[in-house]
Amino acid sequence: MSETLQNLYLGFSVALTPSVLLYAFVGCVIGTLVGVLPGVGPLAGISLLLPVSFGLDATSAIVLLAGIYYGAMYGGSTTSILMRIPGEAASVMTCIDGYAMTRKGRAGPALAIAAAGSYIAGTFSVVALMLLAPPLASFALRFGPPEYFSLLLLGLLALAYMSGASMLKSLAMAALGLLFGMIGIDPMTGFSRFSYGLVELGDGIGVVPVAVGLFGLSEILLTAGQPAAPEVTKPRLSELLPSREEWRASLWPIGRGTVLGFLIGIIPGSAHIIASFVSYAVERRVSKHPERFGQGAIEGVAGPESANNAATSGAFVPMLALGVPSGPIPAVMIAAMMVHGVSPGPLLISQQPELFWGFIASMYVGNVVLLILNLPLVGVFVNLLRVPYPFLYPGILMFCILGVYAVNGSVVDVGIMTAMGALGYGLRKFDFETAPVVLGLVLAPMMEMSFRQSLSMSSGSYSIFITRPIALVLLMVGLALLLSSIVSFVRKNEDWRQRLGFARRAREKSQLPID
Amino acid sequence: MTAIPHAMCLFQRVSFTVLLILFFGLITGSFAQEKYPNRPITIIAPFPPGGVADLTARPVAAALEKVLKNPVVVVNKTGAAGAVGMSFVANSKPDGYNLLMALSSISIIPEADKLFDRKPAYTMDQLVPIALISADPTIFVVSADRPWKSARELVDDAKKRPGQISFSSSGVYGTLHMAMEMLSHAGAISLKHVPYSGAGPALTAILGGHVDTLASGPAVVIPHIKAGKLRPLAGWGAKRIQSLPDVATFKELGYDIEFYIWAGLFAPRGTPEPVIKSVRESVRQAVNTPEFKTAMEKLETPIAYLDAPEFQKFWDNDAKMLAAAIKRVGKLEIPEAK
Repeated sequence: MSETLQNLYLGFSVALTPSVLLYAFVGCVIGTLVGVLPGVGPLAGISLLLPVSFGLDATSAIVLLAGIYYGAMYGGSTTSILMRIPGEAASVMTCIDGYAMTRKGRAGPALAIAAAGSYIAGTFSVVALMLLAPPLASFALRFGPPEYFSLLLLGLLALAYMSGASMLKSLAMAALGLLFGMIGIDPMTGFSRFSYGLVELGDGIGVVPVAVGLFGLSEILLTAGQPAAPEVTKPRLSELLPSREEWRASLWPIGRGTVLGFLIGIIPGSAHIIASFVSYAVERRVSKHPERFGQGAIEGVAGPESANNAATSGAFVPMLALGVPSGPIPAVMIAAMMVHGVSPGPLLISQQPELFWGFIASMYVGNVVLLILNLPLVGVFVNLLRVPYPFLYPGILMFCILGVYAVNGSVVDVGIMTAMGALGYGLRKFDFETAPVVLGLVLAPMMEMSFRQSLSMSSGSYSIFITRPIALVLLMVGLALLLSSIVSFVRKNEDWRQRLGFARRAREKSQLPID
Repeated sequence: MTAIPHAMCLFQRVSFTVLLILFFGLITGSFAQEKYPNRPITIIAPFPPGGVADLTARPVAAALEKVLKNPVVVVNKTGAAGAVGMSFVANSKPDGYNLLMALSSISIIPEADKLFDRKPAYTMDQLVPIALISADPTIFVVSADRPWKSARELVDDAKKRPGQISFSSSGVYGTLHMAMEMLSHAGAISLKHVPYSGAGPALTAILGGHVDTLASGPAVVIPHIKAGKLRPLAGWGAKRIQSLPDVATFKELGYDIEFYIWAGLFAPRGTPEPVIKSVRESVRQAVNTPEFKTAMEKLETPIAYLDAPEFQKFWDNDAKMLAAAIKRVGKLEIPEAK
């Protein structure tokens, strides 16, 4: 322990040198901007800034890029809460309750809780990263294709709990998402599927255009289709901060989101997107009033936002401890290290202590910077809502198109976004939720890959899923989840879903339109 | 003044400006034919930032910029395993302002398209080689807790239990898959292929013990070899790798195979000869600058510069080997479940 403290002291002496501090700050600012812009996520931001970092020394470069990464996680919630447009894919879940809160004039508290949750999750997961990196990393490596498939299957089954009104409807939407995920080159045979000669579809449909289209564009279209501009309660300045009650309601979701996010983030290939989905599902499940979800429950903001930030730190575990990229973003950061002649690998921590500990310390510093940066910005962002719709929405539309185009420089992506906007409009008119489509799309390629890899490993024998202990445990948990929901489905118990149905019908009777 | 004449006036002014711009555009356009370069040159890296193509393109661009005294920018145009960026350059205007930093896979994609009767994204004769920049021989590693101490031992074992020893790769028909296919062919063995989506996940798989072996670029695996997690058995190069002097080449072991992950600069066919000449000459100077050498040293990637004629020969030979390997692999069938 004293050794850790000593190392941390070394780290802070690196992180607090003016130049490193400056780059941490710059990274956080750029990250926040990247997160706020719809479509442009952390990967695009880091990729754009990677060449700039070549001119810096290794520590500054890594600190700058990491700042962009977790800065984007902070910023991503802003447009989700204010306009229902996911700033980056991990903020999809925040759209649902965050925007509902905005409708009720609680945009300020939602943004503040998102920032505070991100701060708490960020800081705690750095502590975990610092203390547990080496043992956790070797555990994470034990996740091979069979374990990974079981985990994803579990995620999909947890979806049953995410459903708002009808389980059938959300499973249908997830199936639609899974189908979209089939587009592209078959990973095991190289065969093109459903690409209709478009080279750009070879890699499949990106999550970003789909998320922005289904959430953002459909919202704009729905609003445009209403006879009168929607009533958005203008926030009062005195109401920018969460009430005591809201703080209390957020505390546990933040805690659970932090743990969940960190654990999911560690597993190679897994993503902060899944962490936020799982956190939302868990919060809804444990809540005493699940019917409030979707209507502006602060837990639905606090949980996922904490989870995606914690997952960010979690993703650094395999990268720093083993030099293994746990996703596309750590992969870019590993490349950045190599450019500076630092070879990431199992020996990084012992050979480059000032880099590792400087990085850790700069993450503490960065989280403080982001909190200081983001809380005052709440007031600024909330005022965006004062812009009249005829000006606000065309502006947002432009940013959506720019953002989606910028990620790959691809017009095809803009086309996909437009089509998804139209689809989202239709689906929401028929009262379908669109979040499961995004989840399905994220999961499909990973599930397919890991399933077929597993069968490759076992030469086609399905027993591989039950002979490996981690996979078996995950599958059992999934099975239990499924059975428990089937039981309540068959018995038609007075479960929360029915209460939700009553609440909805009551609301319809009292003629309060929600969409 | 009424609104309409005012609008007319505005219209006239705008059209005059447009004409003016067009006029200057023509002048600069005609200059462009006289002197190259007079505007920024783009090097397209068809893979994401941080990949080999990107990391090679950036120091090349920086060094070229100094030689040409003209901005050279790297643009990542990614997608479909590089096919999007490569076909973009292949079909771009052949004026020397769009260059391509491609990897070995440039020869694979058209062959794979042929195999599946797809409309090819581009053909190789749409591009002309300018210079080979680097060529890194792949090396063959096994997980350190596996029994094989030499390539020979592994091949003998694989003969006894065909289809049992597994390897991970960056994807089907990818470079790492091709390297292993050459080994399987030369050793007359059959190995179990578990493809991943990229070289990073393929490395993770062998570190986690989920597969037995991997063919990989040296820079990526050397830290793990030093840490004792992986054991190198042989290299695909003509010569041994400097940083691993004890690791024999397959040629020394009697397998006639050679494979490199190389990066080279290309231009679209039809680029005027003087422009090509100018680029070739500048690249030759650029790769000899100390800045470029240090940058590549940090990446642990050996410079293997070849000028256009020799590069063309190297490329032809490499493409022939790869085409043969792809034909041997053929269309992949999914084995029946047991």
